[in-house]
Amino acid sequence: MAAHSHSELVVKKFQPTAMLQMGALVMAGIGILAFCAGLFVAPDRMWPAYLTAFFYVSCLGLGGMFWVFINHVSKAGWSTSTRRIAEGMTSFIPVILVGGLILALGLGRLYMWTDAEVMQSSAMLSGKTPYLNTGFFIVRMLIFAIGMFLFARVIVGNSLKQDSSGDHSLTHKNVGLSVAGIVFFALSFSLFSVDLLMSLLPTWYSTIFGVYCFAGMFQSSLAFFILVLMYIKKKGYVQGYYNVEHFHDIAKYLKGFTIFWAYIAFSQFMLIWYANIPEETEYYLMRAQNGWMAISMALLIFKFVVPFLALLPRAWKRNEKHLAIVCVLVLVMQYLDIHWMVYPNFNDNHFTLGLWEIAMLVGFLGIMGLTMIHFFKKHSLVAVKDPRLEEALHHHVTY
Amino acid sequence: MAKYQTGMAAIFNDEHQLVDAARKSREMGFKKFEAISPFPIHGMEEACGIKRSWIPYVTFVAGLTGLSLGTLFTWWTSAVSWAINVGGKPFFSLPAFVPIMFELTILFAALSSVGALFVACGLPKVNPPVIDPDLTCNRFALFIPSNDAGYDEGRISEMFRSMGAAEIKKAEF
Repeated sequence: MAAHSHSELVVKKFQPTAMLQMGALVMAGIGILAFCAGLFVAPDRMWPAYLTAFFYVSCLGLGGMFWVFINHVSKAGWSTSTRRIAEGMTSFIPVILVGGLILALGLGRLYMWTDAEVMQSSAMLSGKTPYLNTGFFIVRMLIFAIGMFLFARVIVGNSLKQDSSGDHSLTHKNVGLSVAGIVFFALSFSLFSVDLLMSLLPTWYSTIFGVYCFAGMFQSSLAFFILVLMYIKKKGYVQGYYNVEHFHDIAKYLKGFTIFWAYIAFSQFMLIWYANIPEETEYYLMRAQNGWMAISMALLIFKFVVPFLALLPRAWKRNEKHLAIVCVLVLVMQYLDIHWMVYPNFNDNHFTLGLWEIAMLVGFLGIMGLTMIHFFKKHSLVAVKDPRLEEALHHHVTY
Repeated sequence: MAKYQTGMAAIFNDEHQLVDAARKSREMGFKKFEAISPFPIHGMEEACGIKRSWIPYVTFVAGLTGLSLGTLFTWWTSAVSWAINVGGKPFFSLPAFVPIMFELTILFAALSSVGALFVACGLPKVNPPVIDPDLTCNRFALFIPSNDAGYDEGRISEMFRSMGAAEIKKAEF
């Protein structure tokens, strides 16, 4: 076992480099300025961009929470040395509450169901008014955002408390809380994605839509998680707590959820294609014309085929440089995926990707950067007193 | 039916001794030895010098074969041999065939992997010789077959003794 001994264990205090800190600040500033300017100059461009970026970055934060949930529920030992980084990703969750309330200001620009005349125009739409109305929309959003905020607060809080007290009972408490968290998350995230993205086209529905968004959410957040872990390790803040064995196993997760996304995406597409009912095919027709076909095909190839093959061989999952490139590709494709769900409904179905979209994305990423920097400055980068930490230090992937 | 080799076996009471014994045997130049344990031991593959299994390559090639056959099969039945118009869709409609292509990929990959595993492990072994009945419970064994390079009973029992073996015996495996 000498080969796997942990000779050097280092957790340094997180001191963000000036570049990182300033970079995040400038990015957040660009986003906020663009938002304020867009409100007056081009609200019709700004709000879809806001929605896309908001959903994309929220997914990264929520994915961190989901990682924490499943690792508590499965009582995983191997991942404990990486868990604090995922907990840091959850520091974005309070922003979902604020961002969601700001989104409520733009509902009229985004959702045609806010227009009473449109809703009265057909029996299909008027039947949906008890669900699709501004008041209930905001209530659902608040339940989701506050619920996730509380789960993050309590579960991550327990983990942080353990850093000083070393109390093992906190680990046991988090199991039950995480079970409840998964149930709450599964139901409310489905509605969150249905509300924010699916209701953009209120005549269309797909019962698998929530799962589709979940698959993309977890796939992309795993990629983001791996990149943050690499950054922390490369800068030398943490040494010896996680190594190639951990990256290998998280890369397996990434591969698994890449397949899962493809499976769900195909399940949604095939049933609609086969049944060929106009009210269902509308969604895919909008994404097969005006240049959208290229994006649809790009999703198939670069969100599934390429990452899948690139993560298949063992050696490629254990090569950090290679893995980093795959993670960046997955993150880019996830943005394009959400863009693909939002934008065919706007600008007469023409492909739109310009400065407004980039500014909003940069802004939300900057805000997430700031919340994570703030979190890691305050707390240790490794859950040093977790009772299962020893198991993580000996983690070893057999052939 | 697999053939069994005669050779020398050392029985250990501790798994760390087994890992050390395997490493030492490899350093002494033995290649065909086997380590037997009731449970997986971390670091055992490296200690024994076991290379990666070739089974994944079989899985990959078999999966591709299944995928190709699935494509051919659906194309031939639906577009060539007995073309039927289903809902006005093209005879060769890939989305409809993907589930079959997928299932055949998995079927071929999975069955070939199991087959390859049987070949790689020399299975099935019916009624194999038992070195020690406790090897499935709480003891560990290192077995050096008589056809290994440098096999010498005196030298091996000397080595086993220096490794702290609880028991040394001639055995078949």
